[in-house]
Amino acid sequence: MKDLKLLYKYRYLLYQFVLRDLKVRYKNSALGFFWSLFNPLLQVATITIVVKYIMRVDIPNYSAYLLVAFLPWQYVLNGLLDSSDVLIHNRDMIKKVPFPREVLPLSCVASNLIHFLLAMIIFVVYVLVYWLFFHGHPIMTTFLMFPVLVFMQTVLIGGIALFVCSVNAFFEDTKYILQALLNIGFYLTPIMYPVELVQNKLPENLQWLFKIYMLNPFATIMDAYRKLLMPPFEGHVAGSMVTSLPFDWLNFTVCFVICMAIGILGYMYFNKKKNYFAERL
Amino acid sequence: MTAIKLENINKDFIKNQTAPTLKQLLLSFKRPKKEFMHGLTDINLTVEKGESVSIVGTNGSGKSTLLRIICGVYIPTSGKVTVDGRMSTMLELGSGFHPDLTGVENIYFNGAVLGFSYNEIRDKVDKIIEFSELGDFINEPIRTYSAGMLMRLGFSIATETEPDILLIDEVLAVGDNAYQEKCYKRINDIKSHGKTIVFVTHDMRAATDFAQRTVWVKKGKIYMDGESHKIVENYLKEIS
Repeated sequence: MKDLKLLYKYRYLLYQFVLRDLKVRYKNSALGFFWSLFNPLLQVATITIVVKYIMRVDIPNYSAYLLVAFLPWQYVLNGLLDSSDVLIHNRDMIKKVPFPREVLPLSCVASNLIHFLLAMIIFVVYVLVYWLFFHGHPIMTTFLMFPVLVFMQTVLIGGIALFVCSVNAFFEDTKYILQALLNIGFYLTPIMYPVELVQNKLPENLQWLFKIYMLNPFATIMDAYRKLLMPPFEGHVAGSMVTSLPFDWLNFTVCFVICMAIGILGYMYFNKKKNYFAERL
Repeated sequence: MTAIKLENINKDFIKNQTAPTLKQLLLSFKRPKKEFMHGLTDINLTVEKGESVSIVGTNGSGKSTLLRIICGVYIPTSGKVTVDGRMSTMLELGSGFHPDLTGVENIYFNGAVLGFSYNEIRDKVDKIIEFSELGDFINEPIRTYSAGMLMRLGFSIATETEPDILLIDEVLAVGDNAYQEKCYKRINDIKSHGKTIVFVTHDMRAATDFAQRTVWVKKGKIYMDGESHKIVENYLKEIS
């Protein structure tokens, strides 16, 4: 609690770190902040082309179903990778200046959150354009759940980021282990495929595995983005007929609790270790 | 009134801190035995409010470690640190700055590092720029600054923010004579306002002129502590 109070006092520092990150990132490039918009734009375009002309999925606007999970995953990926070695990058400051250390990983998460929100704006514009010109699908009222989803995802990323960066300060292999886990995680999470496909492919007596699969908070979150922001769909994916399942509120609630718990545990672990960063780095 | 109180402080560092190789990790069932070296031993120091204390000692004697213990960057292995009041630190040139940001941007950045809000810094930014005498350079990225310019900016921020306690580690030496004089004058000024200053220096004139009390740190211990002229005299005798 005392740590939270101190962090609140230093909230302007958090803002300054994010500002610094955004300013410095594009300071010496000609197109500047446009790069932040350009990358998600490129991703939207590429995935659309691949799905439409190469994978030939017969669900209308299927690329939007992929992107709605892919963009949040980019947030997870970059947020965690950036924060994993942020303590080492700012070694000089940690050794010489007293300030709440948690500002460093949290600022990485925050600046990636901003990039993610920018990308989502582009995504929504894309969906709106599609809707207006190609009669895709209506805007979902469950879109109102978007802030809740972003909040729980941010707490989850924050908790993991705090844990990972403090372990990385003592054991620098952590970053590479994290990279490997994120690579695997990309395929263990329903991003490039709908979660229904997993259930369809599992034999009857192994359905309990699906429950375990959904305990991965990232799986539930990515699936929730898809179900709350996009309408249900029906069609052939990877050779099997897929119909969207209704949204599982119980599972979502469990996931919410898991996210909060990971957030709190990550912060507690960080606080236990943070006094030793200055001498170990 | 006491500003800084250190009671029975010990600080040990782990020797030979390198990451274990994979072979060591796989082959050793026990963790490699940690060897400790003593950074500081049995430090007792009380600094009253309004006091100005200079710290002298040879390289590697533990002066900087002592300052880091006071400001809380290091946590002592044993003992108790009590600090009363808001603290500004200048432990190294350019720490708490970002090289790619301009001087003005860095005033806001460094101010935030010291724990100030936007409004507090905005009110002081003009005075900081004025005291630093950096002129138009204030709008240049600070990676283009010289050591002396960095010191000016850092010292201006650290003092204009009116801290209760000011910790300075041997950084003023890079300033030109006139500016050093100005800094020490500012230190006297702060002191006369009842604020506390602790600074490390190798400039014996500064150690005596701007502090009544001098602490001599030797091999991680407080070797002598008392009236500046006396301590400095003894110190000069030993090192020459």
